Amino acid sequence: MDPTLRTFIDQTINGLAIGNVYALTAVGLALIFGVANLINFAHGSVYMIGAYVGWVCVTWLGWPLPASFAAVAVVCGALGVALERFGLQGLHRKARIAPLLATIGISFALDQATQLLFTANPQSFPNPLPAERIALGGVSIGAIDVLIAVVGVSTAGILFGFLRFTQLGWALRATAQDRDAAQQMGVDVEGVNRATFGIAGVLGGLAGALVGLYFATVYPTMSFQAGIKGFAANLLGGLGNVPGSIVGGVVLGLVESYGVAAFGATYRNLFAFAILIGVLVVRPAGLFSRRRTLPPEPMTGTFVPNSRPVRVPRAVVIGGIAVALCFPVLVSDPYLLQILTNAWLLAMVALSLTLVTGTAGQSSLGQAGFMAIGAYASALLSLRAGLPFEIALIAGSLIAAVLGTLLVLPAFRLRAHYVAIATLGIGEMVNQVIANWDGLTNGVLGLTNIPPPSLFGIEMVTPRATYWYSLALLLLAALLQLRLLRSHLGRTWRAIREDDVAAQSAGVGLNRYKALAFAVSAGMAGMAGAFSGHMYSYINHETFASSTSILALTMAILGGMGNMVGAVVGAVLLTALPEVFRGLVDYRYLVYGVVLLLLVRFRPQGLLGTV
Amino acid sequence: MSSREIGASNDALLQLSELDTFYGPSQVHFGMSLHVRRGEIVCLLGGNASGKSTTMKVILGLVKPRTGEIHFDGHDLRPLSTPQIVRLGIGSVPEARRIFGAMTVRENLLMGAYTRRDRAAVAEDYERVLEIFPRLRERLQQRGGVLSGGEQQMLAMARALMGRPRMICMDEPTMGLSPLFVDKVLDLIQTINAQGITVLMVEQSANLALQIADRGYVLQNGCIVVEGDARDLLLSSDIQEAYLGGQEYVI
Repeated sequence: MDPTLRTFIDQTINGLAIGNVYALTAVGLALIFGVANLINFAHGSVYMIGAYVGWVCVTWLGWPLPASFAAVAVVCGALGVALERFGLQGLHRKARIAPLLATIGISFALDQATQLLFTANPQSFPNPLPAERIALGGVSIGAIDVLIAVVGVSTAGILFGFLRFTQLGWALRATAQDRDAAQQMGVDVEGVNRATFGIAGVLGGLAGALVGLYFATVYPTMSFQAGIKGFAANLLGGLGNVPGSIVGGVVLGLVESYGVAAFGATYRNLFAFAILIGVLVVRPAGLFSRRRTLPPEPMTGTFVPNSRPVRVPRAVVIGGIAVALCFPVLVSDPYLLQILTNAWLLAMVALSLTLVTGTAGQSSLGQAGFMAIGAYASALLSLRAGLPFEIALIAGSLIAAVLGTLLVLPAFRLRAHYVAIATLGIGEMVNQVIANWDGLTNGVLGLTNIPPPSLFGIEMVTPRATYWYSLALLLLAALLQLRLLRSHLGRTWRAIREDDVAAQSAGVGLNRYKALAFAVSAGMAGMAGAFSGHMYSYINHETFASSTSILALTMAILGGMGNMVGAVVGAVLLTALPEVFRGLVDYRYLVYGVVLLLLVRFRPQGLLGTV
Repeated sequence: MSSREIGASNDALLQLSELDTFYGPSQVHFGMSLHVRRGEIVCLLGGNASGKSTTMKVILGLVKPRTGEIHFDGHDLRPLSTPQIVRLGIGSVPEARRIFGAMTVRENLLMGAYTRRDRAAVAEDYERVLEIFPRLRERLQQRGGVLSGGEQQMLAMARALMGRPRMICMDEPTMGLSPLFVDKVLDLIQTINAQGITVLMVEQSANLALQIADRGYVLQNGCIVVEGDARDLLLSSDIQEAYLGGQEYVI
């Protein structure tokens, strides 16, 4: 057989195998989206836990594969039910975005818990299947490929039969189509909800275990990629569309397999993000829908529940600033100063997020991407062009503003939490491009020896100096933001947040104002990223991961969306808390996840209230 | 108009007493009371935002009143969930029909019998319902979403019958239908009622509804302002003028 053809068939088999797994993940997401009207960010974590359960059963307990898979199904099914019961129940009556935020919190908590149990290191998952491959006319198929195909096809078949022929399956479909009407037929929709999370958990867990076997390794951070890929596959097939998700998963698997063959393995994760953003922009209703628009908003509105903000007297704010400014005079512990410096930088990111999400209502989960752009631009300008720090910092911030805005431009036609997904994808894509653009960014090796922050030629390297420098930048950014919010611009942003249709009919050009909001926001986040880069002296494609975006979101929610004082308070609290209780440092993300969960349930308007 | 005597049976099947219902801070019902006797067709009339649909939601447990009582056949409905209420024998033809568009007509009908376990009887009812609605028999394997508005209304009514309810709540069953279908739907409501099923219907096109009803209530701003024999309501020109938009609106 022609070797090119043989490679092509091999790649196709790989693509089908991996696509099958994506399809399993996507089907779970589709079921949950259909029944609960929710994009479940914790699905990737269930998948990851499935992989770990499989690994524990096979390598520690020495169980045979069928028993291990049964264990995965039971544990992950129960986990799905528990997630719905304890994390989400009752939330749909709160702010519309609440369940989505809760799933983000749950996924943080689950990921970190797994990391604490099994460490962050990848664990090798030796494949107990026979090693010989089945030869078929010059092409060979491994036992794992067969296993994946069997599990994939049989689950799809069982699912089809379940949805078509069982009472619960009918109830599930009816609930997905019309929750109220299903209730009026006597369907216990809460029970259906729980069952759906259970089924999705089983499917997600099996997918995770299969991937663990396929790549012979499991690690806690596999959850994020899996979630995004499942979502991309689901979107490709149409949100909530079960058969569509299966096709979407297989297509994504094939694209990835051919893409990796053409461009190299480091590009693997880029395709999912490209598909995610491409579909959102070009065919948001998926490949199979005749409609060209998105299905009705699963959650209209934004992150902002209405509330009356807590009035913080001006004297308190000024007093707080004074204390912050004098702090290094009184305390000289370099560790503490370093932590507060981080808090100021994260506060800048939280401010930037509270502007675009809180004030303008464009839920952004891509702030880390803007930080990365700013950091790389500034670092490269000072490393390669020899620009002084101040100029590089400002240039980096401007580049982040321009580039960031251009990147999110295609997402402007989206609303509510589709914007969140698109920006999350964009943020990740920035990092993927950084990892692959060797010529400019030095690829995965990252940039080293970035010159430290300086002012008028004087290096600012002591903890005190960086503290004051970052605090000054934060105050400047806050002043700028305050000025903007009190202008005509601030009013227009709020109008867009409250009702974009009404704003539009009042003559507001939406895109221009959204672009301005993103530009200011990306510029501020970029500046924080740039300063961090110079401060660390080393950055790579993982320095500004999506978890930073979500952390900034948690800070902004903690303070109260749109509330500037709140954003700073949130940043200080979340940065300082784990340090104050030293024992919590290892559990940081667990704390963040739990904080997010508690906030969403008990105080969605944040500590200081939304503005 | 139904030929049966009003007040033939004194015991109310459904009794709403002194309801105060709120959506957040805004009050919808102000001490609203009404009752429906066994075997009656009762028609609840009123303009937009008068609280008609909320009354239906309260009966079905989709919205809970802040104060007041709801009794159905001796059961207190207030602590019950919608599925529990449906199991007591209250069927519903929701506003705007709300059929399951992606499920076949057959599946829609069987969803109506979701709470029932008596398979043989369900199969009998399935045949019986298709006798009443022959149009649906021709469309059994089609998806509900492709039916015309009138056919969807019939499907919604047939679906409600499949639960073998003692009472059916219909929210604007003639809304958006062509005049031909309006007459047909009203005929069918009488047919259903003749089988011993009590009907409570909400309507905006008052005169049509009153022609088949036994009694009627007029709801305005969350209070019952008029109640009485359907014939009286239909003939009283004062009431027509004040609440029902006058005769000139009759199609």
